[in-house]
Amino acid sequence: MEMQAVERARMDVDVVCVGFGPAVGGFLTTVSREIPLEDGSFPQILCYERADDIAFGVSGVVTKGRGIRVSFPQLNPADVPMATPVTVEKVYYLLDAVGASRRSAALKAADAALRVSGALRDEAFELPYIPPFLEKHGGMVMSIGQFNQWVGQQVMMTGAAQIWPGSPVAAAIIEDDQVRGVLLADQGVDLAGNATGAFQPGMEVRAALTVVGDGPVGPVGRQLDAHFGLPPGNEQRDWAVGMKMVVDLPEGCNLPQGTVLHTFGYPEPEIFGFLYVHPENVASVGIFVPSWLENPVRTSYRYLQHFIQHPLLWKHLRGGRMRSWGAKTLNESGRRGEPWLVGDGYARIGEGSGSTNVLAGSGVDEAWMTGVQLGKAVLELWREGAPFTKDNLERTYTSLRRTSWLEEEALAAQHARDGFHRGVVPGMLGMALAGFSGGRLHLPGLPEHPMPTLEDFYSQRIPATELSLLKQEAQARGEALHDAVMNRCGWPDIPYDGQLLMTQQDALLLGGKVQAAPGYANHVRMKDEEVCARCGSMTCVEICSAQALSPGAPTPAFDREKCIHCGACIWNCEYHNVDFRAGAGGLHSAEN
Amino acid sequence: MEPILVLLHTEGDGALHKASLEALSVARALGCAFDVGLVGGNVNPALAQIAGCGARRVLALDGADFAVSRYSTDCPAAVALFQETLPAVVIAPCTARWQRSLPGAAARMGGAADTHLTGVALVDGEVEVSRWFYRQRIEATFRREQRPWFLLVEGGIRAPYSAQGYAPAIERLTLSVKPRTEVTGMIAPQGSTQTIRPEAELLLVAGAGWTKKQKDGAIHIEQAGKLILDLLANTNASLGSSKSLVDLSGEGHAVLPFLSHLNQVGQTGSTPRHPKGLATCCHGEEPHAVGWRFVQDRRAVNLDANCGWARGKADVVYVADAFAVMERLNALLAKR
Amino acid sequence: MTQPFHIVVCAGVAPDPLQTLEPVSGPQGPALKNEMMLPAVLDPWAAHALYEADHLAKAIPGSKVWLVSMSPKPKLQQVLMTMAQKVGFELVALDGPASGFADYLQVAHALAEAIEGIAGLQRDRLLLFGGWESAGRAAGTTLALVGERLGITEQFQAVDVLRVGDDGLLEIHERTDGGKHQVSLCGGPPALLGWATGNLPEPPNSPQTGMVNMRTLMPALQKARPVGVSGGLQFTGATLPKQQRATRVVKDASVDEIAAELAAWIRG
Repeated sequence: MEMQAVERARMDVDVVCVGFGPAVGGFLTTVSREIPLEDGSFPQILCYERADDIAFGVSGVVTKGRGIRVSFPQLNPADVPMATPVTVEKVYYLLDAVGASRRSAALKAADAALRVSGALRDEAFELPYIPPFLEKHGGMVMSIGQFNQWVGQQVMMTGAAQIWPGSPVAAAIIEDDQVRGVLLADQGVDLAGNATGAFQPGMEVRAALTVVGDGPVGPVGRQLDAHFGLPPGNEQRDWAVGMKMVVDLPEGCNLPQGTVLHTFGYPEPEIFGFLYVHPENVASVGIFVPSWLENPVRTSYRYLQHFIQHPLLWKHLRGGRMRSWGAKTLNESGRRGEPWLVGDGYARIGEGSGSTNVLAGSGVDEAWMTGVQLGKAVLELWREGAPFTKDNLERTYTSLRRTSWLEEEALAAQHARDGFHRGVVPGMLGMALAGFSGGRLHLPGLPEHPMPTLEDFYSQRIPATELSLLKQEAQARGEALHDAVMNRCGWPDIPYDGQLLMTQQDALLLGGKVQAAPGYANHVRMKDEEVCARCGSMTCVEICSAQALSPGAPTPAFDREKCIHCGACIWNCEYHNVDFRAGAGGLHSAEN
Repeated sequence: MEPILVLLHTEGDGALHKASLEALSVARALGCAFDVGLVGGNVNPALAQIAGCGARRVLALDGADFAVSRYSTDCPAAVALFQETLPAVVIAPCTARWQRSLPGAAARMGGAADTHLTGVALVDGEVEVSRWFYRQRIEATFRREQRPWFLLVEGGIRAPYSAQGYAPAIERLTLSVKPRTEVTGMIAPQGSTQTIRPEAELLLVAGAGWTKKQKDGAIHIEQAGKLILDLLANTNASLGSSKSLVDLSGEGHAVLPFLSHLNQVGQTGSTPRHPKGLATCCHGEEPHAVGWRFVQDRRAVNLDANCGWARGKADVVYVADAFAVMERLNALLAKR
Repeated sequence: MTQPFHIVVCAGVAPDPLQTLEPVSGPQGPALKNEMMLPAVLDPWAAHALYEADHLAKAIPGSKVWLVSMSPKPKLQQVLMTMAQKVGFELVALDGPASGFADYLQVAHALAEAIEGIAGLQRDRLLLFGGWESAGRAAGTTLALVGERLGITEQFQAVDVLRVGDDGLLEIHERTDGGKHQVSLCGGPPALLGWATGNLPEPPNSPQTGMVNMRTLMPALQKARPVGVSGGLQFTGATLPKQQRATRVVKDASVDEIAAELAAWIRG
């Protein structure tokens, strides 16, 4: 990590946490309840969160809440704003309502069969039952922003931990392979990172234990992965962008509170979707655009707009109003992408530690549980007076994790989606095999391979010369290519209404309310200009959730006032050329 | 109906500003008996302006001590006029001067003050007022039981009072004050940097787009600055800005040196009143657009056909490159 | 040598300016829909006042800054985790509504009472700071009333500049109508300054400052006195503006055509 070589202020504490989300929430909730410790000591615990508020997270949360209920056994969902118990749960296969979806012959045949069967309503087929590994009955629908806020307020009121928002952590301090704390990002620098008159070097916060919970694409987690490597046999290759809207449902909408709809099949067969109904006629609706949608111009926002217009959803959503919007990266490799969970002086929790379960479609509760487990381990080590060495953390935290339901379910899920490397139908079959066999069976995947070129991918649909022209025109307009290509492939124009169907810019300003604090450097940079110059597809620009990256020369242009820190550019650059650092700002919505 | 005092202050030349005459009209429209209290260096020129207004009494506190806006003299002056007439309701224009001093005067009289009122009416014999909350986001109407009640009214509610007949007789009060504060003068932005013109026909709003990379991949700050200043020179427009552009200037970026926070229009800026407004390179998002609440005829130039302005916030949106349009527009306006 | 100041900054919390706001009817009159869910910030004008207070206190050794705030406790706590990293202050917290619809009379009385209760506060050194107007009421009345309650006769509003002379005189620039500033010389404290935006940038986050503030911040929050605000105003309505215009979008006109149309419009 390249930081300015300057003298830095230093502070010493007992525990420093990187990032505030459900994992660190679970950790702080667990330890703060036992402070002061039995011996009367009062360990100092700090948490630094990049976003401007602890409530600015994103997730489509429907959860069984098993981990959360470990911490809050008497939890009444009504105590948490926007939370409610699951009352109705359905799974739908969505057919292509507009004729533009990229479907294989097998899928088209299945669609045709469904159409003649009379089993469709609103271009959707309701699965006769919900696979047990997916179902959330007995769980709850939540807003991660409101949940984080609720948790954070309680933790801080104990006085046992401090959670500082607006404080990006640039890097872990690693000395002799031991993590000694963290380095906060420099302030008072220009966009290139050069010191200005108001330069304030990021502080060193040294700690006996560094808790890394900065999510699937957090800079500290990635730094540790780069430094220590992954455990033998583990790999991180499956990712997705999860993008959602929070919608005021129109008056007269009859969807009961607590309704949970899971969908697959549309707008592209690889894209899963959801609609969850919160209290007071508000819904979360969103999609997951996975890395195995091997389209070099993959996009999320445009697909989300088509998704909500699917007849099954549109009949409920039409006339509604977007009140919030956001996106995040999901680390879909889960257990198979697990990094070293602990080392001397540090522990990994949450999604960056491989806790997300793609088979259950669940991440928040699992992340919370990892935090609870680490919290218990830390309390045990404090009681023993034992240091936070790798061995001690393995003996306590790792072993707790390995013997819990978390590990059992993670192992069952770890190959569940491999089949998607071969296509959607094998993918669905693979999920079913893994789900019903508890992970004992699965369809094998394929070795990682380069994404097809733009020309190859569209060779059957758009002549190369026309594609080249579309690309030139989009670049001249300074825009991503996906809209032009999707229009050409038959996707209808979006009938903007300024309420629910709005431009990406309006979604940023009205829904995500994106801001970037002054005084920090650009957090997205391209490592090697020549790599960008050679890149034919610029998938980073296409996937960018917020139009923060746009075509440019020699590298794509970055506008940090639009960036929502979803991190999709990182894993969408097959040349690993995106240097995504710690940065301030992002979404200002507390409802996602 | 409750007795009313209309409190007005004169300007440097002894005359009443339009806002004062509008406040007088607001009081007259209530149809109740009222007195007028005047404060200023010399209020004589004002008397002709309120001729025939129907006030029962016209009282004045004038002299050098009251020539300037100063809390420690204006507040006691208002109290003295109040005590002479003992009204239940005081109506005054919401000028910077009165807004500074009358809430304190109301407090000294054990009453309440409400400022920035956009409506005053008698409903079922009771005074009911309206004003904006949350920076022009929500408009509410309310009443108060507390008396005396000072109502500071915004301009534009009523036409300014137009004098008829003879100047009224005046009762002069005297008041001895010993201010600890001396007003030493006014600072106006120098020459071409005076870009805020509240009385201008046109408000030109510059958004952050002026400072972004243009189609050629480069930033053209100097050209942007020239185009904007030329338009101001050609039209005598007042210059407003979105928050993001002002913030960029504050960050020390080389952007539009003539902009300051004073130019900022919107939720955390001003809400100016102009007959026409032209937004350029500005997306028209809600926090900015609320500052346009009192701009009547609104047009925008933006590259995005689906920008906020196009969604019912402007009357006309031109989908075009503002650099090109402004250049051509300046050429046309300069010709004349 | 100028005497150190005792600077008291009054500041409430307000919804983050980017949020969408809607009124709902409550038992006490209008309220913001989902008010407790919305992210909050320290009222922007009051935050500027706090930055100025910090700046002044650093410039004149021995000066001290108190932040007096009436806001719902959980919201205040959350907002202070951001503010406490920026400037040093001692908190005096009141647990009450931050609503723009709450009557300023009761809010001001509660704030004045809290300030009167600050141990060690010297009136002859007192500079009472706050926002000129607030994001909720934007009335410029609360601070004035607090000042009156504390007997402060030198009040200044919409302040952008404060300079302290070697002779102890305060040079104050207040915004007036038309983008001008009025310059005054005040004999010294006690004085009230309602700040506009001032000229200071938002200070960077400093973990050390945060840690120092935390020593008093949590205890002050824990003993925040509950304050109820009710009545005073009888609201008869609260609505969102319905100013949806029928926008004409001109997409395919040339630059010349657009410029000509705009020129005619401006001249007309």
